[in-house]
Amino acid sequence: MKYLKIDDNKGFFIKDKEQPTIWTEIDQIEKNDLLYLLNHSTVEDFEFDEYVEANIGNKAHQIIYKHLSEKLQSFLATKDRFKDEAESIYKETLEKYS
Amino acid sequence: MKKIDLHLHTVPSISDKNFFFSLNSLKEYVEKLEIDCIAITNHNLFDRTQFEEINEELDIKVFPGIEIDLERGHILLISENENLDDFSLKCKKVTDLILTKDDDITYEQLIEIFPNLNNYLLIPHYDKKPIIKEETLAKLGDHIFVGEVASLRKFKACIKDNDKLTPVIFSDTRFVEDMVSFPTRQTYVNVEELTINSLKGSLSDKAKVCLSKEEGNDFFQATDDGIILSTGLSVIIGERSSGKTYTLNKICENFENVKYLKQFSLLQNDEEKFKELVTKRHSLVSEDYLKEFKDVLYDIKDIDLKENESDVEKYIESLKKYANESDKLDAFSKCLLYNETLFDTDDLENLNKLIKATEVLLKNIEYKTIINSHITDESLKNLIKDLIIKHTEIYEANLKKGWINDIITRVKDELQFRSNTTTIEDVDFNKVLIDKLKIKKFTELVNSIKNEKEIDSKEIRGFKVIAKTKKYTGASQLKNKSKSQLTFSTAFGNYDNPYKYFISLKSVGLEETELYKYFVDIEYKTLNKHGFEVSGGERSEFNLLHEISDALKHDVLLIDEPESSFDNIFLKNEVNELIKEISKVIPVIVVTHNNTIGASIKPDYLLYTHKQIENGEIIHKVFYGHPTSRKLKTSEGEEIQNIDILFNCLEAGQETYYERKNRTYEILKD
Repeated sequence: MKYLKIDDNKGFFIKDKEQPTIWTEIDQIEKNDLLYLLNHSTVEDFEFDEYVEANIGNKAHQIIYKHLSEKLQSFLATKDRFKDEAESIYKETLEKYS
Repeated sequence: MKKIDLHLHTVPSISDKNFFFSLNSLKEYVEKLEIDCIAITNHNLFDRTQFEEINEELDIKVFPGIEIDLERGHILLISENENLDDFSLKCKKVTDLILTKDDDITYEQLIEIFPNLNNYLLIPHYDKKPIIKEETLAKLGDHIFVGEVASLRKFKACIKDNDKLTPVIFSDTRFVEDMVSFPTRQTYVNVEELTINSLKGSLSDKAKVCLSKEEGNDFFQATDDGIILSTGLSVIIGERSSGKTYTLNKICENFENVKYLKQFSLLQNDEEKFKELVTKRHSLVSEDYLKEFKDVLYDIKDIDLKENESDVEKYIESLKKYANESDKLDAFSKCLLYNETLFDTDDLENLNKLIKATEVLLKNIEYKTIINSHITDESLKNLIKDLIIKHTEIYEANLKKGWINDIITRVKDELQFRSNTTTIEDVDFNKVLIDKLKIKKFTELVNSIKNEKEIDSKEIRGFKVIAKTKKYTGASQLKNKSKSQLTFSTAFGNYDNPYKYFISLKSVGLEETELYKYFVDIEYKTLNKHGFEVSGGERSEFNLLHEISDALKHDVLLIDEPESSFDNIFLKNEVNELIKEISKVIPVIVVTHNNTIGASIKPDYLLYTHKQIENGEIIHKVFYGHPTSRKLKTSEGEEIQNIDILFNCLEAGQETYYERKNRTYEILKD
């Protein structure tokens, strides 16, 4: 599912996956939105439009979208490692006490 | 039979505490203990002048010797009492090599100094600390046939085992002024003349080495005034205030690593104290059960979810602010490196695990056929090769990323220092998510731990000790646990929210390494054979059984009047049996005036203490002998009838015994 997109010279993000048609402008993003995106990025197909400077006219949107997409990209590059790590957190300990 | 002590100290060295040698004490020791031969064995030194003085003063054979620090262990090297110039010179070379208490010499250095080891008697610390290592013993080869041990139990174990060296016990004592008592750790050797060669001949034959003069290895001298005891079970009887406990204390002083169960020490009237005792004894069960949980606590101790959220907030707010200021960028903030993010380096842990796992598969011999039926060694080798190539590739990339990150950080710092534009704060998404997950799993973990269940159960001679987990139900329990005046009420308010509880526990003032004990309590219950919690009397019984079983970790067991806390049936059924069992391994000495123990236990040796006043002076006498002997004797040869003693001490006199037996019991039978 796509969570970030570039449209009409602006950057947008999804605030709530249950309402996939409601896109919010990227400069309105807040702490909880980012945590929401992060949480979903690890458990499902997380897609977003690649940053192309020419496609965003708004300078502020350009900066935020570029920064966020780069950072998410770098995080998702290690998604498999994250999943392995998450899977193994305290696994044996939990088995011992359950 | 010659009584020898080839290990004693007369000069303090860097390996000793300081002491002032007393020749008088040494003389008294040799005379009182009737020793035939000694060796002076100081740590890494030989004091010839002093040796000659000792040799002159004593009427017995004295050998010159040295105790050498050899490859982290100790060995006695004893010479014939001749050619002292040469021996002295050689010992000086050892002294020169050992300058601190941590120094030692190697086998090669030993051989260089003493090229002809055949001329000496070598006795390594064998079952005595610091032990000479197996490898060193192997290098010394045929020169080693005898070894020093630290206790009677170890002596007996070596004597019985054909693969062990001939054991010897020596005093290893420093002789100083005014010694209260002298050690009784010596060895008897069946040897004709006291020369190094004759001694070597005898010591190479286990049959020629004993603990006692006339009764082989079943008896030993327990005190310097001549009391003999069995290496099995000895029972001391005597009237009240006749010196039984005094004798027991004297025996105790003479040995190290003694388990001494004093009179009434086993009574357990207080239930809470008993619970505490059982909990303490089984603390390993609790430690072991909570070990992994403790590791988890250590892992999460620095996680701060609030701070993580705040980092995300700072990041997003600074990013938005910076974006809004985009039209006001100055020369510094216009540089692309101004807000450049750092590279994440790749973790190599999983790859390392894979390489190791493949190596295990490749090196395993036990299951090679199965492994090779699925994958060939060739494939495994190729796999390792590819994994290592990948490892090198990532490792190199990480180095480069680290190098670049370093430059970016420095340039950013410089630019941001000079610019007025907002800086975008950094945040580590991976850390934020992993921390959150860890706390989620930690919460699951604590909830599992809090489920009350039995975690351990041990049977101890008819009793059962059960360990159960139990939720804490109030702040006062936590306070009791901490044995302090700390306040737990705020923390306990969060007990149902593990993460919050952990955070608040941290501010209570406890040691961080102790926090794991405050999530769930582990309660021990001691049950009797019917499955009910033990009563007051049973607590004492259980305590005695535990203490006696624990005695096997010691070299001697002393018990003072076990009957002071128990009834006869328990003594006969449980205690006697256990004491007999233990006395097969270590010497056990029981003081009693109870006939169940004194007679029914069938001791190997009987001692009778007697107090009498002679010329206005109190004299304690100790008679001893085999329980079946008609007479018992003192070390001076004074005799007493055994049967009289048994009646008087255990049965309240002969008359009472027959009256009880013939009248009371017979009538009751009918």
